[in-house]
Amino acid sequence: MSELTIEIDVLRYRPEMDNEPFTQTFEVPYTAEMSILEALQYIKDHLDSTVSFRWSCRMAICGSCGLMVNSVPKLGCKAFLRDYYPQKISLEPLANFPIERDLVVVMDDFIKKLEEIKPYIIPEKEKCLSEGTYQQTPEQMAKFKQFSMCINCGLCYAACPQYALDNKFTGPAALALLARYNRDSRDNGEAERMKIVNQEEGVWGCTFVGYCSVVCPKDVDPAAAIQLLKVESSKDYLIGMFKPD
Amino acid sequence: MQIIKTDVAIVGAGGSGLRAAIEIAENHPDLDIALISKVYPMRSHTVAAEGGAAGVAQDHDSLDNHFNDTVSGGDWLCEQDVVQYFVENAAKQLTQLEHWGCPWSRKEDGSINVRAFGGMKIERTWFAADKSGFHILHTLFQTSLQHPKITRFDEHFCLDLIVENDKIQGILILDIAEGEAKLIQAKSVIMATGGAGRVYSYNTNGGIVTGDGMSLAYRHGVPLRDMEFIQYHPTGLPGSGILMTEGCRGEGGILLNKDGYRYLQDYGLGPEVPVGQTKNKYMELGPRDKLSQCFWQEQQKGNVIKGPRGDVVHLDLRHLGEEKINERLPFIRELAKAYVGVDPVHEPIPVRPTVHYTMGGIETDAKTATKLAGLYAIGECASVGLHGANRLGSNSLTELAVFGQLAGQQAADYARNSKHEKITPLRKQAETIMARTEALLHSEGTEKMADIRQEMGDCMEEGVGIYRTKESMQQTINKLAELKKRYKNIQITDKSSVFNTEFLYAIELGYLLDTAQAMAHSAILREESRGSHQRIDGFEKRDDNNFLKHSLAFYQGDKAPKIDYSSVTITKSQPAERAYGAAGEKAHAQEKV
Amino acid sequence: MSKRKPYIRELPRDWWMKQLFYTKYMIREGSSVLITLYSLILAWGVFRLSQGETAFNGWLEALQNPFAIILHLLMLILALYHTITWFSLAPKAVDLWIKGKKLDDKVIVAAHYGAFAVLTIFCLLIITL
Repeated sequence: MSELTIEIDVLRYRPEMDNEPFTQTFEVPYTAEMSILEALQYIKDHLDSTVSFRWSCRMAICGSCGLMVNSVPKLGCKAFLRDYYPQKISLEPLANFPIERDLVVVMDDFIKKLEEIKPYIIPEKEKCLSEGTYQQTPEQMAKFKQFSMCINCGLCYAACPQYALDNKFTGPAALALLARYNRDSRDNGEAERMKIVNQEEGVWGCTFVGYCSVVCPKDVDPAAAIQLLKVESSKDYLIGMFKPD
Repeated sequence: MQIIKTDVAIVGAGGSGLRAAIEIAENHPDLDIALISKVYPMRSHTVAAEGGAAGVAQDHDSLDNHFNDTVSGGDWLCEQDVVQYFVENAAKQLTQLEHWGCPWSRKEDGSINVRAFGGMKIERTWFAADKSGFHILHTLFQTSLQHPKITRFDEHFCLDLIVENDKIQGILILDIAEGEAKLIQAKSVIMATGGAGRVYSYNTNGGIVTGDGMSLAYRHGVPLRDMEFIQYHPTGLPGSGILMTEGCRGEGGILLNKDGYRYLQDYGLGPEVPVGQTKNKYMELGPRDKLSQCFWQEQQKGNVIKGPRGDVVHLDLRHLGEEKINERLPFIRELAKAYVGVDPVHEPIPVRPTVHYTMGGIETDAKTATKLAGLYAIGECASVGLHGANRLGSNSLTELAVFGQLAGQQAADYARNSKHEKITPLRKQAETIMARTEALLHSEGTEKMADIRQEMGDCMEEGVGIYRTKESMQQTINKLAELKKRYKNIQITDKSSVFNTEFLYAIELGYLLDTAQAMAHSAILREESRGSHQRIDGFEKRDDNNFLKHSLAFYQGDKAPKIDYSSVTITKSQPAERAYGAAGEKAHAQEKV
Repeated sequence: MSKRKPYIRELPRDWWMKQLFYTKYMIREGSSVLITLYSLILAWGVFRLSQGETAFNGWLEALQNPFAIILHLLMLILALYHTITWFSLAPKAVDLWIKGKKLDDKVIVAAHYGAFAVLTIFCLLIITL
């Protein structure tokens, strides 16, 4: 049996050697169940050990291995060679992020944005552990659950042209996380977070391209979160107009 | 070299590390905390835990029940005072997570729902659908962001511990992006680096689970305890080893051999419970070690299914129906579809046992302190004595919360009562470590890293697997010695500084090899069968006279580790026969008489 | 001295041509230009009406021009395209819950089309009666 192979283009960038990225082509044995991540591991183990990329869980939950597969943001562990074979595959680091090296991008700005939106329960008053858990019905939980499923992989930022044009925009994942806490019945921090939402860089930086929700590997639907926040922000604005300050 | 002074340094920002950090930040606002992680915290492997976290939640349950399940589940190798502390604090700490926002699945009235889990007499597993670890980790990470005293060092790799005057005084870390070392001077250090499942070829673990903390402590003379006890999870996907949660069986999933027969009833877990019902501690709700052993037995009999990715049995969820699968096990459905092309609503999932958890780890006392002054250890990298010879599913997520909190307290107290010492000797040590590290980077070796890693994983599966013999373990020991030798001549092509992952993998492989050695050497000397350590060379029975004791592996450099033993704390549960199914019920009834 | 040198990729001017999804988005956004033009033409008609019958008839006549017809056809197509794409996105901005379940996306989209049809018929009736 002759071994099937597939060609993979990897965008390389080694900051200590290169001034700009270049493409390196590898020929990798093909099997139908092989993921892009496994192909990269094959490359690192057997073809060129200097290719750098992030990965860990292999099961689409840790959010490490985001990259562009044929210009579409994907998780390497959840994209499979079979969906491209026998065509050549092109792999590039996540768009809209600076390239640290090879397929590794600089995530600092993304992480900073997650940090800034106050992603924690701000209770009305401190609840004692002896009082037990909050009551929260499945209905109340359903209001925010979807927006709590984000794995912080950054695919939505790579899909967002608004973030590409102006990276001051808070962006899809952070705003979805903000919505997650605002919509949680245990939380009372909405007023604080609406200040972030109402800013120019908040929800109004979004022009509803909607591609973020298409590429999201966890169906978080950040575009929906942002539109819902826009409604809240508009309400805030209207109420503000009639409220003497 | 950059020097950063802090009060408490925490290595590892998974569930336990984050929990400890928050504990200190909330209660000791005057203390500085350095939280070091080789990945962004939400990538930590806590994220992949699926099933849930155990804590008594129902009126007809009791702390004693949880205690007894844990101790018998661990085949009486648990530290019973530790188990007692654990069960008493479990629900409280899970409630704390709930206050911080963890979306535990609820009953209609809004109270916490619990599910059945293997080896647990009464349902007490709190769950967030089938992404419990994910939600716990993200909740903790996000909660930690409100504390300005927690300084995170994301994507910083721990190179070594700085030990001076017989106490820990800091750590040396490598900024992965910069390729530069930083010396963190700390009064106390908490190890929270997770397990070492990656020493095996087939495992449910992420690539980062490489035993870093275990090896670092071990190399500094802290013993690794009970390392021979490695948990095989009975239901991993063939090939990748991706986890199919025990929650599948908790919700009523069944295991079938090639004839569609529920083979577990042949191995003391029956009688068969009708499909669609579950009975705690019966059949599919037996403990993990037993279920994995049953697979091996079936394999010997030729009753397994030959698949393209090796032998499997079937995990059948079809009778649960689409609605329940979508509500309780949506991630399982997603994973099965993506990785084996099976929709569990319509087809059974092929599964096989894969390495999942290291019961052993850095020896600590009941309050998470190690033998090295100022060093604490928690979570999977630690052996606080909770799991004994076999961990019950859903005890480890609770462990993160309970002992993370405790370690935070302990390390903070220690830090408050000690001072930073002179930096000069620490810096000197750091320079020595850096020289050693640089030497490794610039070595001109010829041994292929991938080969060593593969051979290590395969020899561990072969010799220190589900069933063990002296001969197979000896072969593994010999192989590991050979691999350690070859490791000294390892080839590192990439000599660059910025995000050099090849270099990091090389260091991690060193950690893995040391951990593997501790496992194999502890295993061969335990001449009995207990929990996950099962021998088929004349030591098929548990031997309480000689082996009701913990093994302790001491690092000896290039030589084989020295194995010693320590006693097991027994408070109220005397060792008895460990039985499940009807036999378990009978034994329990007799005890009561 | 840091050896890091993060590389920032320039966003090419034609970024929206490289991915069909973006192109469709740009057409959706771009359609507003012609829709604005259409409103201006309509406003111009109202203005001409205020100037008397001759002026208004002149405006009507100008609309008979083949160029004007083609333009109007184009505007109609784009307006319809904008409507369809907008309706398909509408569920994302709707937060209606019934018995603890989010209202099905299909229902929201269907309701939009329903309202669209009713309004169109209503307008047609006004014009023709």
